[in-house]
Amino acid sequence: MATDVIMPKVDMDQETGTVGEWLKKEGDTVKQGEDILVIETDKVAIEVEAPASGILSGILVQEGETVPIATTIAYILEPGEALPDAAKPAPAAQEPAPTSDGMVARTDWEVPVTPVARNMAAASGVDLTAVPGSGPGGRVTKKDVEEALAKPTPFGNGQGKVYATPAARRIAEERGLVLESITGSGPDGRIQAADVLNAQAVVPEMPAEPDFDKLSPSSPPAVEVIPLRGMRRTIAERMAASYQQIPHINFTSRIDMTKFNEVRGELNSYAEKTGSQRISATALIVKVVAAVLARHPWLNSSFQEEEIHLYRDINIGVAVALETGLIVPVVRDVVAKSVGQIAAEVKDLSTRAREEQLVPSEVRGGTFTISNLGPFGVEQFSAIINRPQAAILAVGATQPEVVPDADGQIVVRPIMHITLSADHRVVDGAVAAKFIADLKATLESPVLLLL
Amino acid sequence: MMENRVQSISKEEAAEMLRLMYEVRAFEEQAEKSYMMGKIHGTMHLSIGQEASAIGSISTLEPTDYILGHHRGHGLCIAKGADLNLMMAEFYGKEVGYCRGRGGSMHIADVAGGNLGANGVVGGGLPMAVGVGIGLKMRGDKRVLLSFFGDGAASTGAFHESMILAVLYQVPVVFICENNQYAMSFPARSWTTSERLAGFADNYGMPGASTDGNNLLEVKEAVQTAVDHARSGGGPSLIVNNTYRWRGHSKSDRNLYRTQEEIEEWQDADPIRRYRKLLVADGSFTEDEIDVIEKDAYEAIESARVFAEESAEPSIESIEEGVYAP
Amino acid sequence: MREITYLEAVREAMTQEMERDEKVFMIGEDIGQYGGAFGASFGMLEQFGPERILDTPITELGLTGAATGAALIGMRPIAEIMFMDFMTLASEQLVNQAAKLRFMFGGKATVPMVLRTPAGSGTGAAEHHSQSLENWFVHIPGLKVVMPSTPYDAKGLLISSIRDNNAVVFVEHKLLYKTKGPVPEEPYAIPLSTSDVKREGKDLTIVATSIMVSKSLAAAELLAEEGIEVEVVDPRTLRPLDPEPIIQSVIKTGRVLIVHEAVKTGGYGGELAGVIAESKAFGYLDAPIVRLAGRDMPIPYNRTLEINTVPQIEDIVAKARDIVQGKV
Repeated sequence: MATDVIMPKVDMDQETGTVGEWLKKEGDTVKQGEDILVIETDKVAIEVEAPASGILSGILVQEGETVPIATTIAYILEPGEALPDAAKPAPAAQEPAPTSDGMVARTDWEVPVTPVARNMAAASGVDLTAVPGSGPGGRVTKKDVEEALAKPTPFGNGQGKVYATPAARRIAEERGLVLESITGSGPDGRIQAADVLNAQAVVPEMPAEPDFDKLSPSSPPAVEVIPLRGMRRTIAERMAASYQQIPHINFTSRIDMTKFNEVRGELNSYAEKTGSQRISATALIVKVVAAVLARHPWLNSSFQEEEIHLYRDINIGVAVALETGLIVPVVRDVVAKSVGQIAAEVKDLSTRAREEQLVPSEVRGGTFTISNLGPFGVEQFSAIINRPQAAILAVGATQPEVVPDADGQIVVRPIMHITLSADHRVVDGAVAAKFIADLKATLESPVLLLL
Repeated sequence: MMENRVQSISKEEAAEMLRLMYEVRAFEEQAEKSYMMGKIHGTMHLSIGQEASAIGSISTLEPTDYILGHHRGHGLCIAKGADLNLMMAEFYGKEVGYCRGRGGSMHIADVAGGNLGANGVVGGGLPMAVGVGIGLKMRGDKRVLLSFFGDGAASTGAFHESMILAVLYQVPVVFICENNQYAMSFPARSWTTSERLAGFADNYGMPGASTDGNNLLEVKEAVQTAVDHARSGGGPSLIVNNTYRWRGHSKSDRNLYRTQEEIEEWQDADPIRRYRKLLVADGSFTEDEIDVIEKDAYEAIESARVFAEESAEPSIESIEEGVYAP
Repeated sequence: MREITYLEAVREAMTQEMERDEKVFMIGEDIGQYGGAFGASFGMLEQFGPERILDTPITELGLTGAATGAALIGMRPIAEIMFMDFMTLASEQLVNQAAKLRFMFGGKATVPMVLRTPAGSGTGAAEHHSQSLENWFVHIPGLKVVMPSTPYDAKGLLISSIRDNNAVVFVEHKLLYKTKGPVPEEPYAIPLSTSDVKREGKDLTIVATSIMVSKSLAAAELLAEEGIEVEVVDPRTLRPLDPEPIIQSVIKTGRVLIVHEAVKTGGYGGELAGVIAESKAFGYLDAPIVRLAGRDMPIPYNRTLEINTVPQIEDIVAKARDIVQGKV
């Protein structure tokens, strides 16, 4: 009576096994308990014993082949016994004989196929029998397989048309999502609306990084790899999210800082005489911005999905550049504070920021952000909104520029470029324009703060 | 007898009846010609040879009384006073026709004028006739209805149910069976006789009579009696007018079910020729006078033909109008 | 508000209209002294007399035609066909005459009649006394088809049907006759061709007719315990249909289950499915349109078989659940 030799399960979550090496060959007499083959799993290579004594026959699975566990891979027969019908091997799949010109012809069809086309078809799951061949003698070439891949095939099995409900299609189109990239949870893999709603946006693939080491091999390595961690990671995620999700509009204005400088000069003369806090340009700008924001509440707000929140208090974050990043400590309730208080706070916060000594409450609760790259000589730039705020003001360097005065005469004035970036879902163009005009007027004539 | 009948009718009325019979004959002949020239869509059912039954019956009515007909109803409509132009236009399927071209030959109607319509279903008008009678009686209306049907309808369930209900509710309806001997091809004599047809009256419980349907005055007298009976509240009657249709059932009828001799025999009994003879013999009219009536009738039909052919077709934009009442 | 039965509501509608308009009368079998096979005209012979309550022998064709003829000359008859199964006998006059006279006569005639008929299964009356044939008449231009599901709807819709200037087929489900509901005492008319949202919900739309409306509402209560909120829409007038509330509901929920008692093949559900699929709602469907209806078979006599031939509350619950859980 024939005894099955089966692929055994040796690991807990093993589903398949590979024949590593037959220790005995077809026709050998084996004893029960004797090792007859070695099998391999994900984790181990292990010997398998003969389950009975007799002649090893009808080997069905060759070395290197993988089968599900419990599959019969060979038989042990009693002398003179015939193989069970199931064991009679199918006519061995002959390696197709090469034709005289080196092309490989399949024996079960009439049409030859080039080796590279065959490999490509096998790798991409294309059914070669359905591919028309354009080569000599109707040969299927690489180009034919490429064309077959590009064409949509009759749908089903994920090839060609997508099985999705009308609602799913509509939502996908609205959101610019690609149905083919979404897995369906409905019957037969049907894509439901919920699947599309939960799907991540499909981002076009980034082009592969060039292999710099190959292009210019030498020491030190061409690429220094820095893992994305901590502040860098946070900044990366936040910047990407803000940029992707908030429609930014940017407004630039050139501010004549003549009077501003005079006022600051006066304030600082007084400070020197009395030994009180010096007023930095940033502090005075913060004060002016807050006063103007009080008149334009929609710029001191936040877009909150189904609502827009207008904030009572004006808490201005002042961006501070760090060695490896940036941080935005917040000066609370600016309107209630004097310029001196603001200047002191900004100085304190910036210093402690660089020393990484800020506490969490000092970077929370901002309703508007100012980023001043003037000290670095940047003429003009636009910033990315600090979510969930609705606007950010980018301040550039004050530099002498040639401008016409009120009578059209050419003069040289200290000019500062500021750029407001606002959330267009909350802030309309006209609203932003009015704010900027108001801000320009007040910066150019700080005495208006007295009103 | 005959003389009494003739003398009790005024010359004007006689001329009117003769004119109507000639108009029916001329209309049917023209309808046939137009059809054979390919100008008519569908089919039609000619009543040539049955003029006396139509005019004899309907001449007993007041203008406000009602008729309800069958598919071979051109003669009935004309006898009821239909405008020949509008009838011909409907026959040609034109917008200005009685039914805006929607009904055609088999469904010509003028409800406002008392013509409750021809009907495409054999026996289709009979139950409705009962209902008209019920409505008239409920309103205390003194009008009557003549409900026409053929020997073909006398075998339908609708006929028998209508007879029962008509007697039950004693409706002011005169049921007139124009027995032209054939349903479509099925001979009436296979299943009944004109006596038994008239005998239904007795069977169902209403007065009845049987007439030579090609004798105008005989028809008129029988129907008048029934109309008076109905109008005075006496209920329904059944009159069987035995007549014959010269042409086949419809245009596609090859007349294989009857003999040429039979047709010719009945044509000898032409109702128009018989009445004409009577009037001349009586001295009421000269042949010339009658010739004028005949000529006028054919000219009126010719005018109607021209009118119909020149009238406009219905518009596609109006195609769904009239399905529902607002 | 006082509660009366569906049957009483039908009777009240007819009585009040007959009191108001002397052109209205009734004609049917056993409607006089017998008071109607189901009691719809109980007491009306005494009130209106045999001149306006016309009892007939067994003559479905004759009485339907009589109603048609009377309507043609200006009366407003209410004909009763004792069981919808017998509409087969009445159909020549209803389909070929009543439905078509106006159109055939170029719009120059009106047939303002109502043909009332009890329909449906559940009484053990078997094959010849239990059918729901409304879709035959939905198919005929010129007819209107109304199927009220509650006493309130029955009275208001019957009054409107009597006042309507067309031939209206008014289908009453036998098992609804004894159901009770609030009904105003004074006459009121619910316009024909107005669909009614009987219950609001967000997860599934059920469109149901006649007795399936109350079954669907009962199913909705059970489903609510599982957190599934069903919206139930009752078309009330099958022809001409008011599709807009149905379409808006399907747009809201994205899923629709149509429930009716009549046989599924060739039933009204196919018509509704077509209307929904051709509408804007198509783009919002997140599941196939599903019909739950009578089996493709005549109504059998055996009680258990009879119940299993048409949808019941459990069937509605199960099918609704499957649809909402994405198993369909």
